[in-house]
Amino acid sequence: MNNPFESSHVPQPEGNPFASAGALPQTEVLVFSGRGAEYFGIWIVNLVLTVLTLGIYSAWAKVRRMQYFYRHTTLAGAAFDYHGDPRAILKGRIIGFILLLAYNASFQFSLIAGLVVVTLLAIVMPALLMRSFRFRARNTSWRGLRFGFGGDSRGAYGVFLMWPALTLFSLYLLGPMWHQRLKRYQFDNARYGATAFSINAPVSAFYRVYGVAVAVFLLGGLAIGAFVWSLARGNPSAWIAGPFLFLALMLFIQPYLSARLQNLVWNSMRLGPHRFVSRVSARRLYAIMLTNLIGVVCTLGLFQPFAAIRLARYRLESVTMVCDGSLDDFVAGQSQDVAAIGEETADLFDVDIAL
Amino acid sequence: MSTSRSEPAPPVAALYFDGLSARAHAVTLTLDGATLHLNGADVSRSDALERVRLSEPMGQAARLISYADGAHAEVRDHAALARLLQDSGHRDHAFVRWAFDPRMVFAMFAGLLLAGWFAWQVGLPWAARMAAPRVPDEVVSAMSTQALGWLDNRVLTASTLSVQRRQTLRSAFDALAAGEGSAPRHSLQFRHGGRMRANAFALPDGTIIVTDELVDLAGDDDEVLAVLMHELGHVRARHGVRMLLQGSATALFMAWYLGDVSSLLATAPTALIQSGYSRSMESEADDFAARALVAQGRSPELLVSMLEKLARAHGESGDDGEGYLDWLSSHPDTGERIARLRAREFAVH
Ligand SMILES: [Zn+2]
Repeated sequence: MNNPFESSHVPQPEGNPFASAGALPQTEVLVFSGRGAEYFGIWIVNLVLTVLTLGIYSAWAKVRRMQYFYRHTTLAGAAFDYHGDPRAILKGRIIGFILLLAYNASFQFSLIAGLVVVTLLAIVMPALLMRSFRFRARNTSWRGLRFGFGGDSRGAYGVFLMWPALTLFSLYLLGPMWHQRLKRYQFDNARYGATAFSINAPVSAFYRVYGVAVAVFLLGGLAIGAFVWSLARGNPSAWIAGPFLFLALMLFIQPYLSARLQNLVWNSMRLGPHRFVSRVSARRLYAIMLTNLIGVVCTLGLFQPFAAIRLARYRLESVTMVCDGSLDDFVAGQSQDVAAIGEETADLFDVDIAL
Repeated sequence: MSTSRSEPAPPVAALYFDGLSARAHAVTLTLDGATLHLNGADVSRSDALERVRLSEPMGQAARLISYADGAHAEVRDHAALARLLQDSGHRDHAFVRWAFDPRMVFAMFAGLLLAGWFAWQVGLPWAARMAAPRVPDEVVSAMSTQALGWLDNRVLTASTLSVQRRQTLRSAFDALAAGEGSAPRHSLQFRHGGRMRANAFALPDGTIIVTDELVDLAGDDDEVLAVLMHELGHVRARHGVRMLLQGSATALFMAWYLGDVSSLLATAPTALIQSGYSRSMESEADDFAARALVAQGRSPELLVSMLEKLARAHGESGDDGEGYLDWLSSHPDTGERIARLRAREFAVH
């Protein structure tokens, strides 16, 4: 029996011969093997059971969905896996639902009640989000080792309370800086087995990406304004075109932001001696997202599973791992046994907030 | 367990990970009765089949055989694994058999559509009927004032009927309504219909609006009163509140559904699906009007003749109704409604 990933070790042709005396750097690509038609079955059964159980099944549905995507993602011949406990996810969702309900209802009640609830949320949310990071990392594995997240609550209050407030007070001028701090909190505290991740993305890079997006938005907005205004002089009903053109502009900017941010984060990340290369093209991502949106709208949502698979394939397969040394050398961290036994799962939350 | 196998299944290739390091061991799996043997160059173990967990098949994805101690093996040769498990009595989870069977997926999809249709056609009207009496009056009157303001701004203008004519109609209507025992709170308003032409409708809070055009169309005041009694029937059964609730629930669902599809579309205003009263609501209002007319010694024929005139007035101009108001929207069913009014005897209670 040959070892499947022995053959997938492709020596990098242009590797710097002076980089390391021993092994040449090797690259491993992420491979995604999910298929839309296959995922459609999972999606529809999940949907039906979620509707029939008035939403309770959604936690189990999430585990199935995550498992489908994780197990179809292969790196160096081995698949990722997701181990989330649906009961913990259900608990997280109930808590999220109650918080949302309290938030919406309290202001109807009185201003004081509203402020009390907002204050409580500000205190509780960072801790919940921190646990959510931990839950997701701890329940992800590859080659039998779990990922982990060791961020503390001090850091969580910084990136989920202080920085949002600063961003708001600075009229969003500090927004890119907040994003950089968030990514730093997320990845500087992450580990695979006992090996730590680290990220070294300068604030200036975030400002560059957001700066281009804002410039495109302003220029595009001005152009749309001028265009609609000149049309509307002859025909007042032309104003209706304005919102649609703005929607198109947003559709144009979003793939750019998402592509550049993914590249920025992955290209500046390291896992021990290994690093990553992400080459998402904004133009390709734009084509995928636009055709996805058209497909989803034309099929009243039935194209959704196909769209999710297409997007995941492109984003995942754009990432390459540049390995310095053998991938066999990773070892389990000391918390590995905790995750396996599930000792702490009782108080874990998965609030499922995408950042 | 069946014992009909002629020769043991061939070993299955797998990758084994011990859960302590990322090192991959190339191994083979064999099954001996209820014991799973794993053998490689520098690792081997044997476990009872019932003590290991086998992940669900998910297309081409590797299947994971997980051991209690945190170790696992990944198998990508699905055909070989199936042969190995053939005799073990292993059966996949029901979910897997459903999610990957096209017939089952199709049935699920049909079931979903059916459930949605049922919820919309039966569940939603039932919930609205249950909830309608519990909606606070302030909410109802605020919504009604808003709706009338909207119509006044765009469609309706002040009535050109003489004050005396209006007064006569109003007092005749009040007298007729008062005869109906527990008549709900209501008020009568006159407007010039404009685009809406001959029309009458009731707002959820009991405000009944009748257009000048309808009054002109009617042969005499008794016919107008017949129409007004029909509107009073809607008010009494709180049809307006029920339609309002159904419309809001539908709009809320659409926002949620489109929001799921794309957060961008959700930001675009979702048009409230505004439909006329349901057929059963019209029948209920017709019955109320006919019974009230009979009780006052009048004939339900007044309503029938008005229905015919309205159908003719709207039909001749070839307009198929703008869909948002009572008499306009119900006109396709006019023949049916007339037949129904004539077929029934409205006894005096
Ligand atoms: Zn009616």
